[in-house]
Amino acid sequence: MKIQMRNLTLLLFVLLSSQLTSVFSWKKDEFRNCNQTPFCKRARNRNPGFCTLEAHDVSISAGELTAKLSPKKSHQDNPDQQDEDQVKPLILSLSVFQDGIVRLKIDEDPKLDPPKKRFEVPEVILPEFLNKKIWLQRHSTETIGGDNSPSSIVYVADGYEAVLRHDPFEVYVREKGGNRVVSLNSHGLFDFEQLRVKKEGDDWEERFKGHTDTRPYGPQSISFDVSFYGSDFVYGIPEHASSLALKPTKGPGVEESEPYRLFNLDVFEYIHDSPFGLYGSIPFMISHGKYRGTSGFFWLNAAEMQIDVLGSGWNADSGISLPSSQSRIDTLWMSEAGIVDAFFFVGPKPKDVVRQYTTVTGTPAMPQLFAAGYHQCRWNYRDEEDVENVDSKFDEHDIPYDVLWLDIEHTDGKKYFTWDPVLFPHPEEMQRKLAAKGRHMVTIVDPHIKRDESFHLHKEATQKGYYVKDASGNDYDGWCWPGSSSYPDMLNEEIRSWWADKFSFGNYVGSTPSLYIWNDMNEPSVFNGPEVTMPRDALHEGGVEHRELHNAYGYYFHMASTEGLLKRGDGKDRPFVLSRALFAGSQRHGAIWTGDNTADWDHLRVSVPMILTLGLTGISFAGADVGGFFGNPEPGLWVRWYQLGAFYPFFRGHAHQDTKRREPWLFGERNTELVRDAIHMRYMLLPYFYTLFREANVSGVPVIRPLWMEFPSDEATFSNDEAFMVGSSLLVQGVYTERAKHVSVYLPGKESWYDLRTGEVFKGGKTHKLEVSEESVPAFQRAGTIIPRKDRFRRSSTQMTNDPYTLVIALNSTQEAEGELYVDDGKSFEFAKGAYIHRRFTFSDGLLTSISIPPTSPGKARFSSECIIERIILIGYSVKPKTALIEPSNQKVEIELGPLLVKPRGGSAVTTVRKPNIPIAGDWTIKIL
Amino acid sequence: MKNKILQLSLVLCFFSATSTVRSASPPPKYQFIGIAPQDERYYKSSEVIKCKDGSKKFSKAQLNDDFCDCPDGTDEPGTSACPNGKFYCQNAGHVPQQLFSSRVNDGICDCCDGSDEYDGKVKCPNTCWEAGKVFRDKLKRKIATYQEGVSIRKQEVEQAKLAMAKDEAELSKLQHEEKILKGLVQQLKERKEQIDKAEEKERLRKEKEEKEKKEAENEAKQERSEAVEKADGEDELTESKYDDKIGLLQDSTSDQDVVEDQDRLAAEDEPSDTFQYEDSMVHHAEQHTAKETVESAAISDAELDVGSKATSDDFMDSGKDASENTEALSREELGRLVASRWTGENTGKETGDSDAEKNNNHEDHEEMTKGTHDEEYDGYASETDDDHQRYDDDSVEDEADEDFVEEHHDDSDSPYKPESDTELDLSDMTTPSNPSWLEKIQQTVWNMLQAVNLFQTPVNQSEAAVVRKEYDESSTKLSKIQARISTLTRKLKQDFGPDREFYSFYDQCFESKQNKYVYKVCPYKQASQVEGHSTTRLGQWDKFEDSYKVMIFANGDRCWNGPDRSLKVKLRCGLKNEVTDVDEPSRCEYIALLSTPVLCLEGKLKELEHKLDLMNMEQPRNHDEL
Repeated sequence: MKIQMRNLTLLLFVLLSSQLTSVFSWKKDEFRNCNQTPFCKRARNRNPGFCTLEAHDVSISAGELTAKLSPKKSHQDNPDQQDEDQVKPLILSLSVFQDGIVRLKIDEDPKLDPPKKRFEVPEVILPEFLNKKIWLQRHSTETIGGDNSPSSIVYVADGYEAVLRHDPFEVYVREKGGNRVVSLNSHGLFDFEQLRVKKEGDDWEERFKGHTDTRPYGPQSISFDVSFYGSDFVYGIPEHASSLALKPTKGPGVEESEPYRLFNLDVFEYIHDSPFGLYGSIPFMISHGKYRGTSGFFWLNAAEMQIDVLGSGWNADSGISLPSSQSRIDTLWMSEAGIVDAFFFVGPKPKDVVRQYTTVTGTPAMPQLFAAGYHQCRWNYRDEEDVENVDSKFDEHDIPYDVLWLDIEHTDGKKYFTWDPVLFPHPEEMQRKLAAKGRHMVTIVDPHIKRDESFHLHKEATQKGYYVKDASGNDYDGWCWPGSSSYPDMLNEEIRSWWADKFSFGNYVGSTPSLYIWNDMNEPSVFNGPEVTMPRDALHEGGVEHRELHNAYGYYFHMASTEGLLKRGDGKDRPFVLSRALFAGSQRHGAIWTGDNTADWDHLRVSVPMILTLGLTGISFAGADVGGFFGNPEPGLWVRWYQLGAFYPFFRGHAHQDTKRREPWLFGERNTELVRDAIHMRYMLLPYFYTLFREANVSGVPVIRPLWMEFPSDEATFSNDEAFMVGSSLLVQGVYTERAKHVSVYLPGKESWYDLRTGEVFKGGKTHKLEVSEESVPAFQRAGTIIPRKDRFRRSSTQMTNDPYTLVIALNSTQEAEGELYVDDGKSFEFAKGAYIHRRFTFSDGLLTSISIPPTSPGKARFSSECIIERIILIGYSVKPKTALIEPSNQKVEIELGPLLVKPRGGSAVTTVRKPNIPIAGDWTIKIL
Repeated sequence: MKNKILQLSLVLCFFSATSTVRSASPPPKYQFIGIAPQDERYYKSSEVIKCKDGSKKFSKAQLNDDFCDCPDGTDEPGTSACPNGKFYCQNAGHVPQQLFSSRVNDGICDCCDGSDEYDGKVKCPNTCWEAGKVFRDKLKRKIATYQEGVSIRKQEVEQAKLAMAKDEAELSKLQHEEKILKGLVQQLKERKEQIDKAEEKERLRKEKEEKEKKEAENEAKQERSEAVEKADGEDELTESKYDDKIGLLQDSTSDQDVVEDQDRLAAEDEPSDTFQYEDSMVHHAEQHTAKETVESAAISDAELDVGSKATSDDFMDSGKDASENTEALSREELGRLVASRWTGENTGKETGDSDAEKNNNHEDHEEMTKGTHDEEYDGYASETDDDHQRYDDDSVEDEADEDFVEEHHDDSDSPYKPESDTELDLSDMTTPSNPSWLEKIQQTVWNMLQAVNLFQTPVNQSEAAVVRKEYDESSTKLSKIQARISTLTRKLKQDFGPDREFYSFYDQCFESKQNKYVYKVCPYKQASQVEGHSTTRLGQWDKFEDSYKVMIFANGDRCWNGPDRSLKVKLRCGLKNEVTDVDEPSRCEYIALLSTPVLCLEGKLKELEHKLDLMNMEQPRNHDEL
């Protein structure tokens, strides 16, 4: 009877809460804050000067500067460090790499017999990077300032040196003989808790919300302070729904002090302005300042991390004063486990830092051309008929799209790699129908595997022992979409390879070559786990605790899936795998989206800093769900989102299953037209985007960029995250309020800007208050640039392959401009062997020249294209020419006034070279007469 | 001269631009490609042609020269150069088509005659004759259906007229009868009251006598009444105990019977409806319990500790707290609970869920104002039933598919009469062969009224009984008549379409079984989804839309985390009334198809016949070659 009553009560609660849809929003209480996280609380309460370590036994060994770190004798009875395990000396090594990269490692000394080896994150650093190590031969010593003991100094790169100060222990990079750039432990907040063997009476368990973490090795956290010099702002450390320029989290005037958290979590209905951790973690911070320029700091560590940006004056009463510096930003880094494996990047330009960082973790993979088009997704397209309907409606409304997506409901009982036999009885035929129109399909594959004896994947994984284990060594059993589920141990290479094989056409029954993959829930999301994820004491290969690699679990999963598609295509087909969880290096595996956002203006607004931040930290191919995942967008918001989303590197509309249908034609004729225009804009600019994807692939410089990346000395841009640059030629300003009549746009630099649609000219270096229409968000082409377009609209990017180009030349004050175009087969890896066309267009003295940019790789493969240029548009050209002469063919072509955009009301008439019909692949010049 | 140079350079361009000479260079073979026959004169009559939007002019050489000169696409009917162009394909043997110019030379065969792909990159076979034949056959069948449907419809319209006239006649007759009967009842009532008065007088007199007689027993009576009062007091006592118990629950960790507690709170939440609410909650809870398999042992004290919350808001909060107090849940419950945030599925059993929804929504329902249906996106499937210009190849076939129903020989979904609340037994009064029942009553009453002697005391008992009986019977009859009147009035007030063609729908329901659900659509009333014993209201009748081609049912049961359920029924021509293809394209927004002869319109039939005539006329002259 009692039981019955309890059940009843439960039911009543469920009943009552079920009618309150609003109760389900961000569950703050479900997640730890710093005070509930012992290592964070401890680290944050320390005072400057806490660290008593000094470096000794400094020497050069194996091309690195090595040293030991031990507490000074006089401090040995520090009550905090009674345990003798904690006074074992640590091993420090400092190495230097080409291009101004310094690596610092600090770990326990393996010779002193630690309880186990601490976790170093494998497979993130590129093997090639290690070949770029500069073999140090010697170091110099110097006694700096009023120090009692010397510092050891090594050469880094032209103009830079790395310094190891012995006592107090400190590491920094400085300009040769002068100003510091980045430093570590300048405030003495360094702490390294060493592993311990559990003794009688030790209670290291941690409890949170009914979950217990056994913590078998005791506390093992690491923390230290990092300072950036000559810094106006710091950026990076995604993923947070927060501003681009990071706000101080501690110090005078900071309310609700909470550090930026890096802990991959599936946060239901995350809020738009918060330092709390989301789906991904990249412990890489970039500093930028007007005078000193840009520098970066990356800590390769996959455990939970908390990072404070310390507001100036945070240490006012500490009594420690650092060498005077024009402006300095101090930060505090705290991690639950792992080792110190940190990288200093000297910059000095924004693009240098990004390049340096991606030298370590890899540049973004080159996507297939189709992936740069528009993606249509919904949870869920229910059945084959629905898919067919949606597909044909796109054609009926003449709206291009490239990929149709299927969410979890397409599977047979949430068993991935299967199809619901009733709803999707003919998956191959369905994909073939799409493929006949040049379209692709993406299905979802999540890491939770249904614990269902009849499911071959589960059976196999169980038999082979491929699942992550719980603290007591049994297969970890968590709850996710399918119910009771287990999770493959993706840390293990063998298991990744096993997983990859599941994507073969033979294994993934019903898949075809036009099918690609979406990895969701890979934080991992565990509905009944602590903080909706896996317990920290779960065990991976080699006794690695989940706490040590948590933030990289999704990364390895993403990696394995991408590997799967690579194998499937025999290494010839570029994979496309979208992932929600991310870590440093995820850019090598595929695209990222910002997870389950909400259909409101704030989320539209925050999508820009979120994507920009990902771009700064290597992940260029990123986007937010257009329209907002949760909730129903007002038509006005929905249209604005498409207009902005058309410039996201990853452009996908998506919606929660409870929302109204919102395919592009469902909001009335006018809105359909507006959204069609927005999507057309994306397709028109596809050659430009693809060129930018290649730039990212080569240099790490992201497709969309903060303004300051292009205008590093313009302070007005430093905290601007409403607008962004697409490449170096386009500036886009979002509209973030309902029925906005006006919007203020800051246009940086000395040169003018041209409205992308009307060609109207605007002066640079000032803020313009512009009237906005419902037709578009403000977007401008920078004077001095050339943008390649394709003006013919097709069903998908596939049919655009042979279409002719338009070049839009926006001339600067000296009547010059330049731009690039990159073309390859859009699919294969032949480009890596040199099979591509890469042209540089320059315009000066009335002459447009096309030259080939020398291939970066020495391969012999070639790519040819019959594509021609059908139209050349000159904006801001001061003379009124009549004809043009093409060389070497010596033909004359007509010049007339034409519209800037080929459509009704296509903007003001601009100088147009009509049908030059010159091949994009060839060398030529056009003289404007 | 300039023109010549241009031409020349153009040709040169082509040579230089492509390593191989394209077999499909435009003029002259393709100069007039993509032009609709009715436009041929427009393009061929002069050397300088105007853009249709009047914005510009272009030379004949610029026609289909693969460069967009007119923003509206006038100059490029046969190429993909203009985004707004339209490409005409003749499709001899089938129906002509207008394509978006984005389809021209895109490597995909769109026109059945293959004329849209002429650049030689793909070869498109001419499939018009075969496709056309299929199409014509479909069209013929469709016409056949329409022909039959039109005559059925005619009959139905006639029947509807008769039925309506009959209902109207009945109504006016009933209204007449009501008027008379009302008068009679009034008279009877007065007489009855007079009798009552007389009897009362008599009673008082007798009572007085008796009172005097029984004065001696007064004391005993007094005692008895005291006893009654005492009992009342005890009731109060019970109640206060009850309060105490709640107090106890509040600060102890008691595992006691919290149902009452909950119910009490629920009652406070809904003061107007207390009893029903309690009952149904308990009922459902019990049901739930019986089916529940979830471990129940883990409900924490905190969850039980809700007694202190008094206001409804607080109560909600406490419910929320409980659902969030995840520590106490079993691992599985917790997993389900967290999953439910995204899915909206309840963590309990399905049945409990849907019942609960109904329960919770009962009250809400009344508050729902009409007009929540303002935002009518023509959601998922777009209009399928007109001949507006279409540019897609498959649309021609689609139309044939969607526009009418080929005969289904499945009788499982036949319509039936609803269990009507209007079927009152009026047979005794409405028998037409005996129109004088009213007169009879009138006569009877008159006679009776005459007969009863009011001034006789004591009142003649049998006479009084007759009056009372007659009064009761007449008022019952009256209220029956009134009920019937209001039923008929309500019915006749409805919108039955311009020809009253939907009149017979009023008393019909249509059912369709799909998987585990039975869908019931009762026009002018409501629509529901039935699964076993549980019924979910998909909507109340709202209105017709789209000139009687769509029926809207709105304000159904509310969806968890979603809108109120609604159903949109699209009507199309068919020989039987039949609901098919119920679908839920968007969460809790249902659509269904109803085929019915009512939609087989003569005008549409003519159109179809005309179309077939045209097709037959346009038989390909070269068909023999095929």
